[in-house]
Order: sequence, then structure tokens, then C-alpha cells
Amino acid sequence: MVNTRTPTGAPRNALALLGSLTGAALVGALYSRSQPTVAHSPTKTPVPDFAKANLAARRLNRAAGTLALSVLFDSALEHYRGQFRNRAMYTPLVTAAMALGVSAHGTMDQRQMPHVVRDTVYVLTAIAGLAGTGFHLFNVRRKAGGVSWQNLFYGAPVGAPMAIGLSGLLGYLSERVRETPSGQTPMVWGLPAGRVVGIASGLGMAGTTGEAGLLHFRGGFHDPFMYLPVTMPPVTALVLGRTALGPAGTERRATRWWLRATAILGLSGSAFHAIGVGRDMGGWRNWEQNILNGPPIPAPPAFTGLALAGLAALSLLENHPDD
Amino acid sequence: MSDDPLITPRAARGRAPDVFHPGAWVPMKEYPQREPVDFVVIGTGAGGGPLIARLAEYGYSVIGFDAGPYFRPLEDFASDEASQSQLFWTDERLVDGANPLKMGANNSGRAVGGSTVHYAMVSLRFRPEWFRSRTLLGYGTDWPLDWREMWRYYAQAEHDLSIAGPVSYPWGPKRPRYPYRAHEINGAAEVLARGAEAMGYKWAETPLATVSAPRGDSPSCVYRGFCRVGCSTNAKQSQLVTYIPRALAAGAEIRDLAMVGRIEVDAAGRACGVHYHRNGAWHFQAARNVIVAGYAIETPRLLLNSATDRFRDGLANSSGLVGRYLMTQSNQAVYGVMDEMVRWNKGPPSLTITEHWNYDDRKDFHGGYCWMAQGPLPVEWSAAMSGSRKLWGAPLREKMADYNHQVGLKMVGEMLPHPDNRVSLANEKDRYGLPVARVTYSWHDNDKAMIQHALGEMQRSLELVGAKDIWRQENDTNHLAGTARMGNDRKSSVVNADCRSWDIPNLWICDGSVFPTTGGVNPSLTITAIALRTADRIQMLQQTGQLNF
Repeated sequence: MVNTRTPTGAPRNALALLGSLTGAALVGALYSRSQPTVAHSPTKTPVPDFAKANLAARRLNRAAGTLALSVLFDSALEHYRGQFRNRAMYTPLVTAAMALGVSAHGTMDQRQMPHVVRDTVYVLTAIAGLAGTGFHLFNVRRKAGGVSWQNLFYGAPVGAPMAIGLSGLLGYLSERVRETPSGQTPMVWGLPAGRVVGIASGLGMAGTTGEAGLLHFRGGFHDPFMYLPVTMPPVTALVLGRTALGPAGTERRATRWWLRATAILGLSGSAFHAIGVGRDMGGWRNWEQNILNGPPIPAPPAFTGLALAGLAALSLLENHPDD
Repeated sequence: MSDDPLITPRAARGRAPDVFHPGAWVPMKEYPQREPVDFVVIGTGAGGGPLIARLAEYGYSVIGFDAGPYFRPLEDFASDEASQSQLFWTDERLVDGANPLKMGANNSGRAVGGSTVHYAMVSLRFRPEWFRSRTLLGYGTDWPLDWREMWRYYAQAEHDLSIAGPVSYPWGPKRPRYPYRAHEINGAAEVLARGAEAMGYKWAETPLATVSAPRGDSPSCVYRGFCRVGCSTNAKQSQLVTYIPRALAAGAEIRDLAMVGRIEVDAAGRACGVHYHRNGAWHFQAARNVIVAGYAIETPRLLLNSATDRFRDGLANSSGLVGRYLMTQSNQAVYGVMDEMVRWNKGPPSLTITEHWNYDDRKDFHGGYCWMAQGPLPVEWSAAMSGSRKLWGAPLREKMADYNHQVGLKMVGEMLPHPDNRVSLANEKDRYGLPVARVTYSWHDNDKAMIQHALGEMQRSLELVGAKDIWRQENDTNHLAGTARMGNDRKSSVVNADCRSWDIPNLWICDGSVFPTTGGVNPSLTITAIALRTADRIQMLQQTGQLNF
């Protein structure tokens, strides 16, 4: 029986090529250079190092910036599609742009102290994420049918605003790590920062998986690659959770590889979505419509941002054994 | 040679149009006329399409004939209602009776893919009780098919057509998840939903044969709203883009612009081929089996036109029932105007549905009906306003200005089978010199009672959501059924449960004309499910030596 489910011609070739490239990159991540760690030192004496705290903080800025970049373009696209019918719909563009700016600043900033503008922007961003979730929930509930599959699929995406919220949270955590006095283990809210970041990014990973799962379910999982973001990231979330709650100061090569693989997945997701845009009516020649109606190209790197945060958590835990 | 698909056949010289790529072709096997093929299938719509594909996939030699052209939707379909009337069967037919049917857009198709090329894609399952409506509900007649078996074939049809439907369907027994998710509902569909909620009735997104995400070379639906005059993007999963390409890949041949005028019967009383008109001349194709899938007008017409000395009343007609028990479905509507902008033409026309009165038996008439949201295009809308509301000139023009605020609910209702509603032959001849069909139709008391009930319910629903300027379109009908009913014995039916005629063992009828009753839902999915079953049955009968060819 002839296969009528997969496309022919260029889309099929592009999917095959991108699938192979992604596979190769995931394998390649296995062999990439690992960060030197202290795990091999015979004694478990903490050797806190402010340079390392700063490195971890900057990594968190990078993670927050990646998330902000994803949200900036995604919300611009989706809210433009929604014609900015409510003026509040500009909020994520403003906060994401600001978060992106301060994250860039933070990524380059080698000083050991927090920055009041960065700190403020991150807090505001986190609050905007929470408020956005409220707005989106309100939008879904007031539609005919209330909280139903129809409205979860096509109403304002309930999970999306938390991406910018997470960006703000990671940035806030970055500032806390950065302000760690020399010789001390970075702490947040009385807990070791590595563990807090690990749990936050693990939960974020789980939430983002839920969002991808909902929307890929809406797409009927019409392409087998659509199962990747609902199978790999949940493992990442579990691995992160285990790492965050488990013993610190040990080197976790498999975890690091899996996090890198997830980061790669987020980037290749954008390329997969670009192929998806090309499969809609008129293909890329009709990009003005298909970019809006096809799969969202800027969305998948949210996984990359969270995986980067996970990597930062991993370094914090490896470098600052707290038990 | 002309490239006009209405003039020159396109499926020829070993190739057929590749409907997914402009100007491209796919290879097509061709069979010699003199050597009998295993199956000739007359008609390529909801019944013929799946049969041609499945039988070819089973390895039989199959030719599908269609009187209509082989369209390339990406190139041939204009966003223009008038131009797209090329999809309808507009050859002359005589209509009479107390309520003559209006033939054309709502009940015919003339193209490879049949009327699925322009249908509204509504893909519903029968209520299980309808297969035994006489025994369980006290009207009509029982089908020879078991609903549980049909449930399996419905699932197969829904899979093959990538039906986009709700995550859980609120009526009837459990069914597997639709392969694709329901589409986003539009403003008109939301009005139905709010009305149903106000009445305390359940509603759902209508399961539709247009994809909500890409499938193969079909892009996802872009909600142009021209569904009922032909989908120019191939999002619609018509026979033309689903089973027909499968059939070609499996080695079937399609002959477009090929009007079958007569089925030949040999001395032994078996069908041995078909006479067809193509390229300006009559030809004969030999066949071991003939399957008629021309729908409720052309199927009986062909059977009656094929009369011989031995079968004086037409083929498969020893019961005298060929052409009888014609059924249509009531398609009345209630329209109104909303204060807010609705833009009802955006998206497929029937995005939401309530089947409440198909499943609730507390009513004083037999049968069931559903209603769906509406979105007629401007020309169709003005025709309804002038024809049913009797508006013309300035008043019509004034009302047309409300187009973007219009909403409507339209029923699909079960009309009961009646022997006097029938298709017979007229003395008049068509362009091929064949007697045309005379279509006689009258509504009976039960039909009228249901229509009044439905109009009242739909009106109440529109009133509850605040629609104004409400009016009723009382005269519309749509889908056809009957005229070659299936049954358990040769006296009271034309074919058996396998769609095999009682009189001629290698003559089969497989389309909407085999319906003993028509149910309160659009028939296409049931036709396709029956066709899939028939293909399986043919394979089973052949493997167990019960076909002998």
C-alpha cells in the first residue's frame, strides 16, 4: 500500500537530512570537551571559587537570554497574529527585549556583584510571566466551551507566558549566585543555588514539555519527529531532578551529555518547524502567512534555554559540593 | 490537443495527473479493452474511490470510470462560485412529485472523485440503532449490516481520510480517536455552540475530512471557505487526493470523461463488460465483474438503461425495487443577524454540530436530525435570500450588506423511505442519446413534522444567542440515498449485505443507493465504510472460492 502520510520531494528530503544532522549532533555531543571539574579530588573539601560562581552566574544569564530570545520572537509572532487586540499584548515583547538586553550584559559581566538594573528587570520579567499566565487562562475560560481541548489548542496558550517567567527567574537566580562572597557556596533562599537552579530548570523543562505536547497533539503528531520533544525533555527533567536532589560534587557525564542533547534538540526544533512552515499552502513563498499559521519557529529554543540552565546547575553542583 | 479537462481526457497514454504538483504526472497502468479486467467500477466518488483503491491493493485488475473530468485542484479551481459549478452534475433530469428535488450542487458531482470534490467534508457515523431502525426504533427497515462491524470500517475510513474531529465525541458508543485534531471553530460555529449550551444540548466540533495539520503532500487547511466549490489547496481529503492516488499507485486505471451508458450481460446472464462513451465515440470494456457506484440517480438510471430481453425491467431488478425508495435529507435552515462581526464564510462551513435530536427519542416523529453551523458563499447566499426569502432588487441588496454579520443553522434530517419516491426513465434523451432520469419526490407527514420540529429548535437556538432578523429557509434538501437498497432477501432488496446484486452474481452496487434508510447525518463516511467492507468481502469471497472468476 502506498504511503500517503509522509510528504514527497523536497520536504521529505529536508526532513531526512535534518533528522540525520540532529542525530549526528546528539552523538557528537557525547564527545565534546567536558568542563574540568573538581570531582576527582580525593577529598570532598569544598573549594569554592568566586570565578566559578561568576561563570555559573553568567551561564545562567545566557540561559535566561536564550529563553528571552525565544519568547521575544514567539510572542511577537503570535501577538501580531492576534493583532495586538489588547494593549497588554505588547508586555512580553517589552519584558523579553529587556530581559534579553540585561542577559547579554550579564553574560559579558565578569564582576562579582549583582546589578540593580539587571535584578529589577529580571524580577519584573518573572512577574510579567505570572501575569501573562493569568491573562491567557482568562482568555481560555471566557471562550465558548470554557476549558476544553478546543480552547486549549486555539485559545491563548496557557503555558507560554511561563517561558518568560522562567527567564526572569533564572536571571534572578543568576544575580544571587553572582553575589556569593568569595569562599562560600552560592545559596538562594537558604538552599544551595545549584539545587535550586536544577529544580527550577527541571520544572521548567516539564512545563515546556507539556506545552509542546499539547501543541504537537493538536498537530496530530503527523510527523514522527514530533515525538522527540515529548520524549527527550521529560527524561532531562527527571535527570535534573535527580541531580538536584542527589549528592553533589560528583561528575555526571551522562547528565551533561543529555542536557547538551536537549539543548541541540531545541535548536533543531526550529529547523524542523521551518520545514513545517514550508509544508503549508504555498510553502516558503507564502512565508507571510505560513510563518503565522505554521509551527512556531522561535518556540523550540525554550528547551535550549532550560538545558543551558540545567548545565549551569550541574556546574554549580559539581563545583560546590554542599554535603 | 486541448488541455481543458472538460474536453480532453487527462488519464491517458500511461499517465494520470499528479494532483499534488502543478503540471506533474504519475504513471498509470492501462488495460486493453478486449481482455476482461477483474473489476470495472463505474463512479469514483465516496463509494467507487475506496473500492478501486482497495481492490487494486488486493492485486485485482481494476478500471475506474467517471463521466467527469480529472481536475488538478491546484490549477483548475478558481475562487469563484460561478466557475466552480463545473463540479456539479448539471445534465438534464426531469423532476416532479409534490416536492421536486433541486438537482445539482447539493446532491451530485461530476468529476474524478465524485461529489467528494465539492462536499462539505462532514464525516459522521450513523447512530448504531439506525442499522436496525425497524426493530429498535419502529420505522423504516433494518439494514443487513451489524453496527459493530461498521464501527470498524468507519475507523478505517476515518484513518484513510485523516478526519479532523474532537478529542472525544459526545454522542454514541466509544469510537477511536480521530487521526487529526478538530479545527479551530469560527464565529458562526461559536454561535451554534453558545446556542446549544443555552438550550442544554451538547455540541461538538464537526468531524471533517480536511486536515488540521499537513498529511503527505496535503497542506493543512487555510480556512479559505471555498470547500463546497472545490478545495484549491488539497487540504480537503476528497477521493481525488486520497484513494484515487492510492489506486493508481496500486495499478488501477482511471478513465475520465468516460460515460458508461450500458452494462452488457452475456448469454449466461452474467455481466461481461460496459459500453462507455469517451473521446466522441462508444467503446466496450470487457470485465469479469461490474460495480456500479454512480449514486442514487445515475446508478438506477444505468441499471434501467441496461435492460435486455432477459432482464426487461433493467438489471438487478427482479424485485422491482431499482429506482424505488429514493431518499433525500431535509436541509432546512434558520438564519439571523448578529450585532458583532461573524464572517461566517471563513473556514469550512460546518465547524460545529449538535446531534442532540439524533440520540434523543423523546419526539413525536420518526428518525433523527442534526444541525450544523453555516457559511454559504455570497452567490449561494443571495440565491437563498432571493429564492426562499423572496427578496429582490434593493431589499436584497440591502440584506446582502449584512453578510459579515449573518449566522445560520442548517439541519441534516432523516427522510423516511417511501416506494413512490423514485427514479425512473423519461422519454427524453441526453447528449449521449440515453434516456434521462425522472426523479419523483414528495415529502410525507413524518418528514414535514421533523422539519417543523427542527426549524423551531434552530430558531430557539438563534434567539437565545441574540440573533435578530431571523427567518426560515423551508425548502432545501441535500444528500440522496436509496434506489438500490440492500437487504436480507431478494424480494425486498436489490443487493445483499456485500452489495452484490441478487439477480446477477457478478454485478455489484456500492454507493449511497444501497441505503435502506438514510439516517440523520451526512452519508459520505457511511458510503466509504460500506465500500471498504465490500472490498474486504470480495477478497474473502474470492479466497474461499465463492466468486468464480
